[in-house]
Amino acid sequence: MTKNIVKTTCKSCHGGCGVLVTVEDGVITHIEGNPDTPTRGTMCSKGLSSIQHINHPDRLLYPLKRAGKRGEGKWERISWDKALDIIETKMKDSIARYGASSIAVSQGTGRGYNEYTHRFARSIGTANIITPGYVCHSPRLGLYGLVTGNGRLYCDYHGWGGEYPKTSISWAKQLEISSADSEMAVWFLESLKHVKNLIVIDPRETALSSRATLWLQIRPGTDAALALAMINVIINEGLWDKEFVDKWTYGFDKLKERVQEYTPERAAKITWLKADDIVKAARLFAIDTPGCIQFGSSLERQANCGQTLRAVICLLGVTGNIERPGSMMSWMPPASGLREDFFTEIPITDEMRKGIVGAGDFRMGAARTAHSDSVIKQLLKGDSIIKVWFSVGGQQIIHLANTTEVIKGLNNVEFLIHADQFMGPMAEIADIVLPAAHWLEIDDIYDMHPRFMIEAHNKVVDPPGEAWQDSKIFNEIGKRVAPQYWFENVEKMLDYQLRKANITWKQFSEMGFLARMGKDQIYYKYKTDFWRKGGGFPTPTGKMELYSTVLEKLGYDPLPYFREPGESPYSTPELAKEYPLILSTGYRQPFYFLSQYRNIPWLRSFQQDPTMQIHPDTARKYGIEDGDWAWIESPRGKIKQRARLFPGIHPGVVMATANCFYPEDPGPLHGLTRSNPNVLTSNNHFDPMYGSPDLTALLCKVSRAPDGD
Amino acid sequence: MRWGMVVNLSKCVRCYACIAACRIEHFLPMGVSWPRLVALETGIERPTVSNYSVRCNHCKNAPCVSVCPTGATFQRNDGIIMIDQNKCVGCRYCVIACPYQNRTFVSKDKDRGFFPGRIQTDFEKAGKKRYPHQVGTTEKCNFCVERIDEGTKQGLTPGKDRDATPACVNTCPARALTFGNLDDPDSEISKLIRENEGFQLHPEYDTDPSIYFIDRGIGSNQALRKSEDTRQESIATGGSK
Repeated sequence: MTKNIVKTTCKSCHGGCGVLVTVEDGVITHIEGNPDTPTRGTMCSKGLSSIQHINHPDRLLYPLKRAGKRGEGKWERISWDKALDIIETKMKDSIARYGASSIAVSQGTGRGYNEYTHRFARSIGTANIITPGYVCHSPRLGLYGLVTGNGRLYCDYHGWGGEYPKTSISWAKQLEISSADSEMAVWFLESLKHVKNLIVIDPRETALSSRATLWLQIRPGTDAALALAMINVIINEGLWDKEFVDKWTYGFDKLKERVQEYTPERAAKITWLKADDIVKAARLFAIDTPGCIQFGSSLERQANCGQTLRAVICLLGVTGNIERPGSMMSWMPPASGLREDFFTEIPITDEMRKGIVGAGDFRMGAARTAHSDSVIKQLLKGDSIIKVWFSVGGQQIIHLANTTEVIKGLNNVEFLIHADQFMGPMAEIADIVLPAAHWLEIDDIYDMHPRFMIEAHNKVVDPPGEAWQDSKIFNEIGKRVAPQYWFENVEKMLDYQLRKANITWKQFSEMGFLARMGKDQIYYKYKTDFWRKGGGFPTPTGKMELYSTVLEKLGYDPLPYFREPGESPYSTPELAKEYPLILSTGYRQPFYFLSQYRNIPWLRSFQQDPTMQIHPDTARKYGIEDGDWAWIESPRGKIKQRARLFPGIHPGVVMATANCFYPEDPGPLHGLTRSNPNVLTSNNHFDPMYGSPDLTALLCKVSRAPDGD
Repeated sequence: MRWGMVVNLSKCVRCYACIAACRIEHFLPMGVSWPRLVALETGIERPTVSNYSVRCNHCKNAPCVSVCPTGATFQRNDGIIMIDQNKCVGCRYCVIACPYQNRTFVSKDKDRGFFPGRIQTDFEKAGKKRYPHQVGTTEKCNFCVERIDEGTKQGLTPGKDRDATPACVNTCPARALTFGNLDDPDSEISKLIRENEGFQLHPEYDTDPSIYFIDRGIGSNQALRKSEDTRQESIATGGSK
């Protein structure tokens, strides 16, 4: 018997946890966390259940070509050569006839294949990259960049500068469970033992909020009003960080003037919070410093996303919680540099920029990537710029707003290629399906969100059938369509990405991870020549811009403001008569990752059916009991989910599970329209900067649904 | 020597990792789960969400031991309650006797495989050889006795050294689980229990479980908020005004 233990990195969510995998006679018999990594041997249910994932009988094994009508489920097995020939011909043909912008490249969450999707798109001359970024993470990066000149700020949970956060705000986020950033969850939870005040901002009670210093049960979609009122208190009570504000910020007086509109009393009416609690939160955050704010993507799933984030970032600014140990840090990458260099080294040309769908409407969001909803609208109208859509991993068909229109739109794509591990709804409507490998089956480089570390995915077992890892799929298609940018093989491509650290893939694979931690990180970079000679931030004014000169130039309000969601009891009171409840689609389970894992038996055992949380008083009013199926309706349509009566949710709010479908149901839709809350969401009201739709703040009505209907 | 565990309710985030790790460690049949997560919401005005990661309590006065007619269930000197699968006749007296409902009878329908009627995975095949489960018998958490025994043999300390510590404790991303010797007043778990008002589940049953729970607030003000009393403000808010 042969037995060996392979060190690798989990990517069952965004990833990042070091793991040890035992292989005996070619079979994985055990998996657990690796204690000698920054996640110290911990691992969650998703990563552990990879054992069922890689052994799953429904894994895609061979390239497939559509043999019947679109979505009919008839496939012909083809060779990789044939698949690549078809893709090459289609892409080249489309470039010749319509220009390179006619090709869209899409992905799911940013999970280490970002670098390949973006490089691939840019290498063939298109910036029509479709990602979920505009409802998850990209807006905060863009706005951090705009305000501080540096696009990546993360909570300093590490204490490397000698201090931990004294006041930690978890804002619209359950970092502890909500899928992404597992490695950060470990550090966040660890940091709590140093925290003096934990403030949780969430429409629902959670295990952490139950034990927090302060829990703010906010009305979904009103976070900007809360942030602005907190700034109001901090400024009017003289609690701001005078030294930081005077020396290093721009536009304080204008911000001071703006926030006068947002008194705690007015904000209390908007947010459904108590004015006293708003004051208390502001004082805690301003007095007990350093502090950090863990953002959640629910802030980015609302149509006032840009200004909401601006307001929260200004809150960090007036309290001096930037670059200070225990506050928000822009970490320096390891010696290998930023992995984004792998695609930014191919610049977006003016011609590419002109071809971006939605660029004219959303000047922040659609500057480097396409606006997904605009792509769908063009497809519906029949004047689509996009002709060939190359989709990897992600399921736009599930996560985009207004599922009914999305399905129709996607069926109008001239040619759709989809790479995945299973035959999900997106694969079902494709013309070519490519089998992809799982993280236990690949050699690749993983880069975590805070970017101070890269880690090695080391192949543990061979992929099933003829499945390829994503990087190989991109490299092989890239070699055919834009050969000058691609590599002889994957190993050479990995070597290239590591060259700045003077190591090869083979060496890195042995090392496991490369990190810049502890004393190697530099705090207070703005006080040195790091970004600017004489100190300062890399912004047009050299300061942290509370008043944004860049936004002003782009024609946006340079100061943050609150705007009601597109549908709410206040913005659409007539509609609210028929749909009296607020619907948020922000409910996540720790054992699913977005649309993934409902086909993994161990994980499905934790919750069989998509579930919505509703207050017992509200449920009673509509005749719904715990465990009942319930209809949730909006002007776009209706879905059903199991009702979970939960006293910890506001009686006026319903929280539905997002991104769900039933893998076991027949194709092409696999029950996609039965319970997915995007059937209810609107694609008609967008954030002016990023084009983000209101996914977490809508109106709905509920009723009891008969069983089995 | 008495092995025990502390579950910190103010740390557990209901991620289910403990269950997943146990399933792998013991190649559990698809329908069997030794640990469970019980979510509890208490309070009306201001509900408190709690996640109880529960498993066999390895009680000192264990009702399961006294009702077992064949001696299959027994207690070791270190407090661990074991089931000898070869002696268990599947009468299920113990399942009923356990006041905590932490025992599972492995019926046929609980052992239908990961993908019933389709394939038996290589992992399952390996499990059948390595860690056989017998349909018709009763099972429960054994505190990863294999790790404890093997680790102790190598001079390792359960609760401190990973290779001698239960899998659920090792994997917990929230570090909500702590393992150790209840008889040693200087062990980490003894201290945790002492300093945090550790409690056992249902002390009125007089079973003396080896698993304790602690429940504190987060932050410097460790006492868990128990009321809406606004007078309990932290010092920081006393500031201006």
